[in-house]
Amino acid sequence: MLNDFLRRMTPLTRSTAGAALALAIGAAASGSAHAQALVTWDDYTFAAQSAVIEQLNKNFEAAHPGVTVQRTARTFDDLSMTLKLAVSAGNGPVVTKVNQGAGDMGAMVKENLLVPLDPYIAKFGWDKRQSDSVLARDRWSDKGEFGVGKTYGISGLGEMVGLYYNLKVLTDAGLKAPTSFEDFLSELDALKAKGIAPIMLGTAKGHLALHMITGIARAHIDAANRKPLDDLIYGHGGTFKTKDNLDAAALVQHWAKDGYLYAGFQGISGDDSVQLFVAGQGAFLLDGTWYFGDMQVNPDIHFTPVPAPAGVKAPLSVGGIDLAWAISTVAKDQASKDAAGQYIDYMVSDEAAKAWATAGYLPAVALADASGIKMTSLLTEGIAMWNKLNANNALGHYDDWASPTLLKTFDENTPLLLANSETPEAFVDALDKDYQAYMATMK
Amino acid sequence: MLDAPSRKNLVYVLPGLIVYALFVFVPILSAVVLSFTSWNGITRPILVGIANYAELFADGRFYVALRNNAVLIIFYCVLPLLIGICLAAIISVVRQRERLALRTLLFLPYIMPTAVLGIIWQWLYNPAFGPIDQGLRLLGLGRFALPWLGDFTFVLPAVGAVATWYFFGFCMVVFLTGMQRIDPSLFDAARVDGARAWQSFAYITMPSLLPEIRVVLLLTIIASIKSFDLIFTMTRGGPGTATLVPNIYMYELGFHLNRYGYAAAVAIIGAVLVFAVNYAIHRLVRPAHGTA
Repeated sequence: MLNDFLRRMTPLTRSTAGAALALAIGAAASGSAHAQALVTWDDYTFAAQSAVIEQLNKNFEAAHPGVTVQRTARTFDDLSMTLKLAVSAGNGPVVTKVNQGAGDMGAMVKENLLVPLDPYIAKFGWDKRQSDSVLARDRWSDKGEFGVGKTYGISGLGEMVGLYYNLKVLTDAGLKAPTSFEDFLSELDALKAKGIAPIMLGTAKGHLALHMITGIARAHIDAANRKPLDDLIYGHGGTFKTKDNLDAAALVQHWAKDGYLYAGFQGISGDDSVQLFVAGQGAFLLDGTWYFGDMQVNPDIHFTPVPAPAGVKAPLSVGGIDLAWAISTVAKDQASKDAAGQYIDYMVSDEAAKAWATAGYLPAVALADASGIKMTSLLTEGIAMWNKLNANNALGHYDDWASPTLLKTFDENTPLLLANSETPEAFVDALDKDYQAYMATMK
Repeated sequence: MLDAPSRKNLVYVLPGLIVYALFVFVPILSAVVLSFTSWNGITRPILVGIANYAELFADGRFYVALRNNAVLIIFYCVLPLLIGICLAAIISVVRQRERLALRTLLFLPYIMPTAVLGIIWQWLYNPAFGPIDQGLRLLGLGRFALPWLGDFTFVLPAVGAVATWYFFGFCMVVFLTGMQRIDPSLFDAARVDGARAWQSFAYITMPSLLPEIRVVLLLTIIASIKSFDLIFTMTRGGPGTATLVPNIYMYELGFHLNRYGYAAAVAIIGAVLVFAVNYAIHRLVRPAHGTA
């Protein structure tokens, strides 16, 4: 009986939301016969990122008279938390950024909350701008398989986890930029012996520790041997209990225990640790290209792939692309969908790529003409790394894409690992338990 | 008119009752219904009977949250009460002008939103540029400069200390008000009988303040079981589960893991706990004659 009530309640709620939306649209339409509001949500919350997207929105409005972009910026966590609920209630964004993977994009596709972009990919030729392996990260089949089927998103920025180093700190200590993993480890010892904090880290908020552990683990995998990792992330099965993951967890625990990490890292947020690094504290920081905007303030800071051990010719990276632009089912009619398609086309255009590059960020599309852009050394290094990773088919994934709850499991277990309250084996076991539980639900 | 039968007078309270029912009863009832379902916030809820409650009582994380909440009661309730009553005893004997200044100063934290306090204290506790650790280093006590909000041992007391700082001024004001109610002739009589200050406090002030103690206990225990904003802004339940409390757990289950039915079960158990603990206080803390 109660089930019947609930079954009836949901359509009723939807009808009410639909009526409210229709009224709102009607009210908006009565104001101007041709005015069209395009509601967008993105995760560009850093000041430098926000300035770029605001300018791009103005450019888009100028090129499309009658269209007004109504932008809302949310942090990564806030976007993930509110997006599904808002779209399912019918009053969320028409165009939105969505995290790839099972937690967000997978769940939204399953509930028919996203519109497939394949017609727009064909219409605008996005598949000519980005490689198939990059677009595969936004694919979900009707059966819920990741990496295959229809394409539901496309990214504007490339994202890779790498190694930031402060050349001045290294030079003052009589060291150079590390070229191999062994070299990197010996430099850490040398820095520690001189009383310099070798690695900057902050774990109170953010995901720096996750990126550090997975970044080191991936650098130990050659692109030629990437299939088990692809299978794991794309939900074909596999395990997190690998030697690379275990070794990386053990190494980071050793760093935490034996004073290789910046003192007090447990009480500092990720963003604060980046600011400390920019201020010259610490020699190395492992994280992603999304901090280029902050890091470029200090010209001594450089970016390189996480050093790989001897024998790994084409090491994998963590990441690949930023959150994808997608069209939600809040776009009911074809005109709204087409306006959203045009907006996304502009966001992945060469013009947008130039705007991002000018601000020091790494665009996901190759720049047709980079002349006139004053490249920072960080961006030049980032583009070189991006090109090399793509040429080697070594662009990786984010591990938390593998299951809807994996990010939470990482967040809960990393502090325990770093506090030496959990063994590396237990850490890896916790990740694998989460993944296997999700895989069991997929059968 | 007021002499009319009470059902006739009901019409006058009806508007308020409707608003109350709409915004209090309906959400509570909805949460109760939701707690018997499995719902991801998007699809239709599926009735699962008592499965959520059965899972909850076998959920180790929920017990961790309850244990943390029990520890926090010391900081939300016991310490503010003790500090508040001591301060009230001291302030009640100082001159009127100083009393007003001290009362205002000590009550000040209570007028600020706890979310704002959380953000301020997060900065104060920051091991890199927070004044607490910097001050300790300046005094040559660098080994005591800890990452307070990232340390598994000290994070709960560190968050709890902020709650104590927030509530003690409120407790003090309530007790000061209560002390004004006590007949001064009782203290005069005690003084004539040779009672010392502590004896007057223990045998006159304390028993007379039992109604205020009960009110303070009720309000601070409700606040501790409802604790969310302070912890959310300072640690979000971390590191690991070191500051996880039922309300943070409920938030995580609902908004991060999309398990709204299970989250509702946590909320209902939390509400039952509030009722049970407060009923116990209501029954146990009362003056000897039992009229208050």
